[in-house]
Amino acid sequence: AQSSFASSRKSRRKDWTKLIYATSLTPAEILQGEQEEGSGATEVEMDEEDFFQIKRTADAGQDEVLDQSKEALSAEELKKWEDEEMLESIRHLFITGDDNA
Amino acid sequence: MSSLLQFSGHQHLRHRLVLSILSGKHVRIDKIRSDDKNPGLRDFEISLLRLLEKVTNGTIIEISVTGTAILLKPGIISGGALSHDCPLSRSIGYFLEPIVMLAPFAKTPLQLTLRGITTDEHDLSVDLFRTVTLPHLQLFGISDGLELRIKKRGAPPEGGGEVQLLCPIVKQVKTLNFVDPGKIKRIRGVAHAVRVNPQFSNRMIESSRSILNRYIPDIYLYSDVYKGDESGKSPGYALSLLAESTTSAIHCSEAIFKPGVAPEDIGLEAARALMAEVNLGGCVDRKHQIPVLLMMVLGSEDVGRCLMSEPTPRTIQFLRDVKQFFGTSFKIVAAEPGSSQLLYSCYGTGYVNANRTLA
Repeated sequence: AQSSFASSRKSRRKDWTKLIYATSLTPAEILQGEQEEGSGATEVEMDEEDFFQIKRTADAGQDEVLDQSKEALSAEELKKWEDEEMLESIRHLFITGDDNA
Repeated sequence: MSSLLQFSGHQHLRHRLVLSILSGKHVRIDKIRSDDKNPGLRDFEISLLRLLEKVTNGTIIEISVTGTAILLKPGIISGGALSHDCPLSRSIGYFLEPIVMLAPFAKTPLQLTLRGITTDEHDLSVDLFRTVTLPHLQLFGISDGLELRIKKRGAPPEGGGEVQLLCPIVKQVKTLNFVDPGKIKRIRGVAHAVRVNPQFSNRMIESSRSILNRYIPDIYLYSDVYKGDESGKSPGYALSLLAESTTSAIHCSEAIFKPGVAPEDIGLEAARALMAEVNLGGCVDRKHQIPVLLMMVLGSEDVGRCLMSEPTPRTIQFLRDVKQFFGTSFKIVAAEPGSSQLLYSCYGTGYVNANRTLA
């Protein structure tokens, strides 16, 4: 369990203050760890000859994002916790657990 | 003073309205689902605006003909004894969350009765609100007389629940300094089952214990029983759990019934979700980042600090919006190099409740 903790720590090194206040990245992009000057925005203007642009593509996927404070439980995230080892890996967070588990 | 802030889109509506009312700044929000097949404000959003009108005095809300733009000129937060019927499209939690951020700064203590759905999959249930959200406010000195009474349960789709929020007023909120998450010492939970076999509560409790029992002995899961008229109009059951640490950090989770899913599986789902939340660490649960950060902004003129996990997408937008309304930005740094735990700190604005009647 210890090694998995170490690796997850290394992967995330962000300057949160800068990402939030000094960039125009969307919250989702910040969390996904996208680089600044994301590639997404430039692709839109490609087909100027096509008079009728199909606008659906962008809208269809995200029909309604609800303003909700309860994060939807992801099946994937829950699946992780079916594993004995995973359950044991957080024992150190409880008073009964060892300090350096 | 009455500067106007502009926003677009239906998202983040609630916290923008709250920030507008607290800061006294006018806000205009346009392009509300303007590209949608069914454009404009939803019934629950209009209902929220009506509720905010009731809680305040002198607030002017203008909604465009198409419903795709609103202008809010906030008045003062008046509080007092009020009641409101929530639409069945969102649960009571949707309305409680913004209200509880305003109520401490009202003129008189708020006694608000809300009717509708008490537990659903989108918003905090009234159980989590009572056992987790309210203790978070206590961190800021909002405590005497703070209470949520669950009088009737109301499961979706028909609802029929009723709760009463009692919120005291404060002159100022305390500066938060919460950087030690401590270790989890106890787990509490509330299971309820209305208009179904009452054994469902116990079955959820049993199955969640199969996961939780391994960690600590101090587990108390309460089966909340409601009978007859108190159990609302629709059948439903749910389990909400919370883990409290030695330093009173609280993490919570919740799972509610779905068609064709056994109560045992709901119990397991709640327990696993709690473990996921505990694993994220920090002193504040993910669902409560926004109210805690808001109270830090409003705190006395001193540096407030709080250890939390990564911000959620909503939190990120909230931080940006706070900067526009109050000019306050947070410093967010890893608690120790490479750690996923982040230390959020800001200089409080020294917000004083000017509405309060002097006694």
